[in-house]
Amino acid sequence: MVDGIIKRDGRSVPFEIEKIASAIFRAAQATGGRDYQMARHLAELVRETLDADPETTTPTVEHVQDVVEKTLIENGHARTAKKYILYRNERTRTREMNTRLMKVYEDLTFQSSLENDIKRENANIDGDTAMGTMLKYGSEGAKQFCEMFILDPKFSKAHREGDIHIHDLDFLTLTTTCCQIDLVKLFHGGFSTGHGHVREPNDIRSYSALACIAMQSNQNDQHGGQSVPNFDYSLAPGVAKTFRSLYRDNLGKAIEIYCEREDGLETGRQLACRAEEALGSWPCLSDANGFDAEIVRLLAEQYDSAPAKKIAAFTRKHTVRETYHATHQAMEALVHNLNTMHSRAGAQVPFTSINYGTDTTPEGRMVTECVLIATEEGLGNGETSIFPIHIFKVKEGVNYNPGDPNYDLFKLACRVSAKRLFPNFSFLDAPFNLKYYRPGHPETECAYMGCRTRVIGNAYDPTREIVTGRGNLSFTSINLPRIAIRSHGDIDFFFEDLDRKLDLVIDQLLARFAIQADKKVRNYPFLMGEGIWIDSEKLGPDDKVGDVLRHGTLTVGFIGLAECLKALTGRHHGESPEAQNLGLEIVKHMRDRMDEESQKHKLNFSVIATPAEGLSGRFVRLDKEKYGILEGVTDRDYYTNSFHIPVYFPISAFEKIRLEAPYHELTNGGHISYIELDGDPTQNLEAFEQVVRYMKECGVGYGSINHPVDRDPVCGYTGIIGDVCPRCGRREGEGVSIAKLKKLGLYKNLNAGTIGYHGDPFEEKDRHPNKV
Amino acid sequence: MKDNHVTEMDTELIGEGVGFERIRRITGYLVGTLDRFNDGKRAEERDRVKHNVSCCSMSDSQSA
Repeated sequence: MVDGIIKRDGRSVPFEIEKIASAIFRAAQATGGRDYQMARHLAELVRETLDADPETTTPTVEHVQDVVEKTLIENGHARTAKKYILYRNERTRTREMNTRLMKVYEDLTFQSSLENDIKRENANIDGDTAMGTMLKYGSEGAKQFCEMFILDPKFSKAHREGDIHIHDLDFLTLTTTCCQIDLVKLFHGGFSTGHGHVREPNDIRSYSALACIAMQSNQNDQHGGQSVPNFDYSLAPGVAKTFRSLYRDNLGKAIEIYCEREDGLETGRQLACRAEEALGSWPCLSDANGFDAEIVRLLAEQYDSAPAKKIAAFTRKHTVRETYHATHQAMEALVHNLNTMHSRAGAQVPFTSINYGTDTTPEGRMVTECVLIATEEGLGNGETSIFPIHIFKVKEGVNYNPGDPNYDLFKLACRVSAKRLFPNFSFLDAPFNLKYYRPGHPETECAYMGCRTRVIGNAYDPTREIVTGRGNLSFTSINLPRIAIRSHGDIDFFFEDLDRKLDLVIDQLLARFAIQADKKVRNYPFLMGEGIWIDSEKLGPDDKVGDVLRHGTLTVGFIGLAECLKALTGRHHGESPEAQNLGLEIVKHMRDRMDEESQKHKLNFSVIATPAEGLSGRFVRLDKEKYGILEGVTDRDYYTNSFHIPVYFPISAFEKIRLEAPYHELTNGGHISYIELDGDPTQNLEAFEQVVRYMKECGVGYGSINHPVDRDPVCGYTGIIGDVCPRCGRREGEGVSIAKLKKLGLYKNLNAGTIGYHGDPFEEKDRHPNKV
Repeated sequence: MKDNHVTEMDTELIGEGVGFERIRRITGYLVGTLDRFNDGKRAEERDRVKHNVSCCSMSDSQSA
């Protein structure tokens, strides 16, 4: 006689026949049944079967369900049985996912990031902190919610099984990826962060501080990053304002000194005002408007005995010097702020990029020079700064050749990058970038989000092919090696299957866009509320953002072209010209399809060479399980990034650049090529510059040069460290005596417990043995 | 203290257990230390080889 049921969690509850009857009735209803009495009758049959079991009087839920299925089938209710089984399976899947989610939470809670790969999925989130873990709880929960309840099952199946990867799935229902911020527009008249209003800045230091705040605010409205596409142009007005105000002050001081007047400051201000009125312009770094001469004229007019020329010379000399100092400080603060300020509940520093190098005005040049110098100097203890990502825009006639107005800045950029890995280099002369370039319109200079995203062409509105106010909406990557493995060398099958995956991804991007388009301005208080995104300033808080979002990009990405070619032809594109041709054909096929869809939908479909930080290990793990270890394909722990030549393959820098360059043209949604340099490139700047120039000549869009940057936090040495620190001689983990650090002139006794060195490695020349 | 004798404090060692920081680039941005890399990226970083820059055209050398 059945008297109870053991639930899945082990608890025993009283047996209730009504529960069984109503479960059967629900299954019957799904096939059009309406007879509750029949359901009740079948439930009685279930009880009889259970009662007849001599083994137990408290069966498990699973056992009861087995009996229900059997009873339904034996009594001729096959369709109801089918529904019942489906319902049961669905419930099981939900339960398993819940259990899995709880398991994920358990691991997030009790494992450190050393043990837990999920915590290191994104290297710029510190998964060991309280807020970092909270962010991961949210992220992992949201991913499962989206997979189960939001995504069309065919998308979630393809994602789960690793045919495709829907990036930032946790944010599927929430927001878009990234945006290129127009600071000039934002600063005009001041702005609100969502937590308070700030006035229009009037000094380069405030420009820099507000640039950081703008990026921080935006970071909380999107799941990707933010870039300033025209950093030099955007901050140059701050330099001009600082120059103007310092000029007045210094003029006043000069008058006090040379004319021995007490009221110099006020007099200086009045004089400068009169000169500004007369000329219709401000004093400026170049003095192209003849401001100094006007001051001399006014001084002579007002005080015939004043040494007017001396006063003007004093004013200019000190104003230039102080403006440079203020700009340098502002850029130093920017680099420090962007490495230390918090976003997303404290888990991340904002993901920021700045593009610069083409503004040839003295003010813009000063911004570029100072931000480079500040980066070269590094953070507090001489550390290499991680953010912002710097992108130096290379352009013929502007900064590429001797004689170009900013050539000196290009040389400086190479020097800084050789030491600090930044800046990266983008190339405005690459044909696919050059076609948008209109001199005098910085918004037409192609810019890159640091990670590599590129947004400039505009199929939705060809009159707005600009970088500012636009970004990527979402992207999804295709597992190319898997298609190749499944093709067994049959190229026709490969392209057919690739088309099926492209169909799937296009549908999925459109479905996601429909969710994004339905959001309102108030969902993005900064991005939309402050008019960062193009045309959003024309919308009210309750307007939907769908139309303005159409300026953004919907992007398909790919990973592992090298492994794909290996599976198809036995060689990758670094090994054979045939493989290279096929590789180009594959990526062009994807691009052509995206161009077609762009015209069809009047949306910006594009192809990206996926950054794939979290993905590099995931696809290959799944494919290893499915297809085993295939040499050159699944035999490593990662798939090669996008179209890159495999990192393990020995090849010259120039050959690598030459082979990867044509893919830049095809991947209009973003791309990057890396070169790994051996040794210390600061000792061979010529070779470094050669590599950059070769990238430009080959039509690369965006590239950077990797070299080891190691640092010993104990003595502060930055450079290449093998097993032993070349400065203080300790091995990793070893101690070094304070006496030795003193002898080296490194011991500053500020935080003696852990670290001996607190200073600037650029002060080498000032370094001398500490007096004992 | 004017003489150069070694004080008790000088013989003290500092930095025990402190590792070296190794900054690397992953997806276009830098990461402060390899500890933050996920497993796939760590494996990739381990496998990286250097690219020779001594000569401009070396297509013969590697593509065998």
